[in-house]
Formats: sequence, structure tokens, C-alpha cells
Amino acid sequence: MSYFFQIVVSGVVVGSIYALAALGLVLVYKSSRVANFAHGQIIAAGAFITYFLTVTVGIPIFFSFLASMIITFFLAMSVERIFLRRLIGEPIISVIMVTIGLGSIIDGLIYLTPFGSENFSFPEFLPQNSLSLGGVSISWTQLLGVIITFLLIGGFSWFFKKSTVGISMRAVSDDQFGAMSVGISVPRVFGLAWAAAGLSAAAAGCIIGNITGLNFETLHAFGIIVFPVVILGGLDSILGAVVAGIIMGLIQQFAGGYLDGNFGLSGTGNVLPYIILLIILLFKPHGLFGIHEIERV
Amino acid sequence: MKNKTVLFLNALLVLAVMLAFTTTANAGGKVYKIGMSLAITGPTSDAGNPYAKGTEDYFKFVNDTKMLGDDTIDCTIRDDQYKTEVTKRNFEDYLDQGIVMYLNYSTGSTLGLKRDFEEEQIAVLPASYHSGNLIDSNYIFLPIVSYGEQLVILGEYVAKHHKGGKAKVALFVHPSAFGRGPVADVKKAIEAGLNLELVEVVEHGKDLDNTAMLKRLMSKNIQYVISQTVQSPVATMLKDSSRLGLSASSFGEAGKLTFLGAHYTGGNDLIALAGNAAENFFWTTSFNITSVPGEGTEKQLALAKKYGRDQKAAESHNYAAGIYVAQVVTETIKRAKEAGLEINKKNLYETLNKMNGTNAYQAYSAVGPVTYSKTDRTGVDMAQIYSVQTGVFKKVGEPIQSEYMK
Repeated sequence: MSYFFQIVVSGVVVGSIYALAALGLVLVYKSSRVANFAHGQIIAAGAFITYFLTVTVGIPIFFSFLASMIITFFLAMSVERIFLRRLIGEPIISVIMVTIGLGSIIDGLIYLTPFGSENFSFPEFLPQNSLSLGGVSISWTQLLGVIITFLLIGGFSWFFKKSTVGISMRAVSDDQFGAMSVGISVPRVFGLAWAAAGLSAAAAGCIIGNITGLNFETLHAFGIIVFPVVILGGLDSILGAVVAGIIMGLIQQFAGGYLDGNFGLSGTGNVLPYIILLIILLFKPHGLFGIHEIERV
Repeated sequence: MKNKTVLFLNALLVLAVMLAFTTTANAGGKVYKIGMSLAITGPTSDAGNPYAKGTEDYFKFVNDTKMLGDDTIDCTIRDDQYKTEVTKRNFEDYLDQGIVMYLNYSTGSTLGLKRDFEEEQIAVLPASYHSGNLIDSNYIFLPIVSYGEQLVILGEYVAKHHKGGKAKVALFVHPSAFGRGPVADVKKAIEAGLNLELVEVVEHGKDLDNTAMLKRLMSKNIQYVISQTVQSPVATMLKDSSRLGLSASSFGEAGKLTFLGAHYTGGNDLIALAGNAAENFFWTTSFNITSVPGEGTEKQLALAKKYGRDQKAAESHNYAAGIYVAQVVTETIKRAKEAGLEINKKNLYETLNKMNGTNAYQAYSAVGPVTYSKTDRTGVDMAQIYSVQTGVFKKVGEPIQSEYMK
């Protein structure tokens, strides 16, 4: 029975980290209806900034972590200001293409540094043993990852529901022209959305990097790996990202735990989430928590 | 006054041109063009980058020390970012430039360009040690023992040193031809009598938690996990195993997992990624490594120092692998020259095929002699097992050859 509960815990942990990595995509889409294909690169950049500040500059890792979130906050905001603001009002596909190009530019910049082609790992700052209860164990890194995920997701949920800026961001997402007509600054909202996405991406990068090690290809792949999570949850739903992340994590772990190695199967944990995704989308094309917009003509 | 200045400048120019021609005439050397395409950036560039540096430095050394007399090697190295279409473009461009040998990189592009190599009849040394490269090919030469053979060598080591009946083994492989191909070799060796039980083949993804997989392996009484992939997924698995208390503290410790892996799973990068969890990881490759000092590694470090490489590149086994292919190319050209042959694709191919028996070549970067013939297109037939002890890879026994692959 402890095996079953271990898989549940592992699934929730992995799912939470997926949700955190997906959060940035949701934040940008929620406000601007743009799928950001450079998200993985921002995740990687966040992790490398933390490493640089910790190892090269010598700042304690917790402060480096916070500093990295602040830096990516402003970095992402600048990216929006320089590259994307002038595209407001242009077709969405143009903006998406720009994010693809942006990803390539960030790739190129990171390749110019040792981070593009070397492996690194954060100094050990958490106990190496696990927390165990009744045969179920969880590492300190994973626990920290779950706590940070829920803190950030809780914070952003509150922000969107209760704060004036958050409500104005939702308004922009709903109807840009309507929002402008009541005095909301759409460019400012876009900038904030990108900045918040940058902040959450840095957090995700640090947690993933602490688990897998700092390898650029591995880190930036998570920008794509979490796309099914965002689609399943509903592109504009923070709650959806959490639920879908956990569903994906659980499917992966259960497939890995019970299917792989049996019936001649292997690698089902990598495929099954996509199959389940397709099945769910057949019945819920807007994702589990996505808004189904009905236009009256 | 103006005319005098013009006259003086003209005279100077004529002198400079004459001097340049005289220097060239004195050198009288030929230039042999070699092409190399690999991932200096992009996926697997953690291996490709030092590999390229090793090749570049060794060819510079050949030219600087006049190892080929007045003749020089001009090796163009281009980044293909691990994209086969770019590799193909690079290769075609190199052919136009008149290369006499070609150095390739990935399994995918080597398999993808196999036909081109056959058509062009050019000897190719890839960085991929996939045995499938040799099928239906006469021009691809594996630098060292194939991945399959490396896994069998590790399997043989497990079978020999395991205590208490037949050892239960799992293979942890990359979900690609690079990872899957060698599984067949292990199965064949077991059918041929290798005393192992292959309980499971695990194809990994970008896993953030291997707890379920590791506990499943334990529930099946598996004691050994042999990996054929790259360092990052192995590092994650080692870290998970370590925190769960499942990693063996010595080889074959009962009730625990002992981890082993082929060439691209190990090296200093694995230690960088996994930290203390890499302790007691067993790794095999055919290259000498700098944490086991010797004549070969001293030369490797001296080469890196001479050309200003940083410590990380200098100590990388991929830097050694890059040196190795450059050494083989240089030696082949040298032997062809000594035989009075014209240096072209055909003659180098023939010369490479004669590199065996008493003509075997000992490259300082490798643990055994390099032998090639028309029926043996694997360079170094031996591999050395290393294991991580107190944070560095140490030698385990002497270089060995697989019994079951012969």
C-alpha cells in the first residue's frame, strides 16, 4: 500500500512543479492571448542567473533565488517593452512568431556563455536525505518546490481576484478595447503579465535545476513539456494549470509505477499523459477550466 | 616629392609580394583538408564542445610541430546544433572543398548520411559508437567499442563479480536508436550464455522523480542498473536513489542498487550534475581520463595548456575523444605519405584498413591499440571500467575486451 501512496505523493510533487513551470504560460496567455514559445528559455535563464549569483558572485542561494526572480521579472518586462509592445493590435500569429524568434535569440545568447554547453549543479543547500512517513518519502527539494509552487499560485490567484491591477489584467484579457475604454492601460498590463511570468519561470527553473542539474537543453525543454498541462487545464486558468499539472504528474507516476515493466511496456509515463489529454479534449475542447466564449452575432 | 613617395610604396609592395612568394615556395607543403560537423551548441553540446576543442587543438599541434613535415592539415569545424539537415549541408560543402576524410558526430546524422558516405567513398569517424552505423556501410569507422559492447562489458563485469546466483539487471536507456540499439546486443550476449537476467528495459523521459521506477526495480529484486543515455537523466536517477537510500555503497551490495553506464553517461559532467550521489557509479569508456594520471593524460593536459583551454575542457573525456579522432586521421595521413601514396579519399581509406596487427596504432588518448581492417571497423577494442570514489573517477582493474561480442 505504501507503494501506492508513494506514487500518489510523487505524482503530486511532479505535478506541482509542472504547474509552477506552466504558470508563466498561463499568465501571459491570460492577459494577452499569446502562447509564449520562449518560456522554456526564460526558465533556463532564471536557473542560470541563480547559479551565477550563488557560485560566481558568492551570494547565499536563498538570496540569489530571490534576486533571480527579481531580475527575470524586469528582464521579461523589458522583453515585452522592446519586442512585443509595438505588436499590440497586430494578429496573434505575428506575436507568437516573435516569441519563437525571441526563443532563438535567447538560445543564441545563452550559447555564448558556458551555460549553453556545460553542465552545472547548485551547491547543496538542503539536507540530502528524505522526509519519510509510513514508507512514503519526499526529498527536501521536492517539498520546497511544492511549497513555493503553492505560495506563488496562491499569491497570483489572490492577485487576479482581489487586486485592482489583477482585475484590470483580467479585463484586458477579456476585451482589450473594452478595457481601454474604461481607462486601463493595456501596454502596462501586458508588461506586468510578462514580468510576472518571468518571475514564476525563474522559480520553476531553480527548482527543476536543483532536481535535474543545470543543463540548458533539459531546462528549456520544460517550456514545451508543460504545454499539455496548460492546454488540459485551460489556457487562461491558474487553477486549471494546478489541477492539470497534478493530473499529468499522477498519470506519469502511475504509468511508470504500474504499467512500465509489465505487459512488455516501457516508457508509458511519457506517452500516456498525451493520450489522456487527447481524450479529455474530445469532451472538453477548452480544457478542464478554460473559458468557453460564445460570441453573439 | 609626391612621386617619390608613390615610387617608394610601390617598391615596398613588390618586395612584400616577392617575400610572400618566397616563403610559400620554401614551405612547399601540401594542405590536406578535413571536415568536421558536430554539436558545438544545442543538444549534447556539453559533449560536442570539448570534443571539437580536442580535435582543433591536436590538428594545430600537428601543424605547429611539423608532424607531417611541411604538409599541414586544414580541418574545418562547423557547428550543426545536432540537426541532421545542417550536418548534411556541412558535409556537402566539405566535399566541394575537397576533403580527404570526414569527422561526424551524432548517431542520427551518421545513420542519416550513411548512404552519402558510401556514394562518396570517404572514410568517416563519428563520435557515435552505435553498432548500427556499421550495418550496410563500408566507410564508417567506429573510434572505440560500440555502445552495445560497452554494455556487454559492464554486464560481464557484473556477472563476474556478483555474489549469489544470477544477477538481476535492468537497462536504463535513451528513447532513441542511440539508446535502444545496444539492448539487442545485451540480449544476444545473454542468449549466448552471459550469466545475467535482464529483468527490465526502462526508457526514460525528462523525469523529475524516479521514485516509482526505482521502487519497482527493487520490488523485482533488481540489483544492477546499466545505463545507455546521457548524463542528465542518470544524474536525476542517482540523486533519487541516493535520497531513498537505495544506492549501494560498494559494488553489488545486497538489497541495494549498483549503477553502471556506457561512455556518454559518465565523466566529470556526471559528477557535476549528481554531486555525492554519483559516488560508486561504474562507468566504461575506451579513453584515458585525467583523474587517473598517466603518460596519455599528461600529453592531453599539456595540449590543452598549450592552446589555452580551461580546466573543465582540459579534463573532459570528450576532449580526449576529440584528440583521439584527430590522432587517427593524422596517423593515417602520415602512413599514406610514408607509403608514397597520394593523399586522397581512396588511399586514406585503404591505409586506414591496414591499421592492424603489427601496424596497429597506439593513440595516447585511448586505453588500447587502434586496429581497423575491412572486417574490423572498430578502432579500440578494449574498454576501461572506472568508478567514482570520493568525488573522482578511479580505475577499476585493467582494460578489458568483451568475451561475448567476439
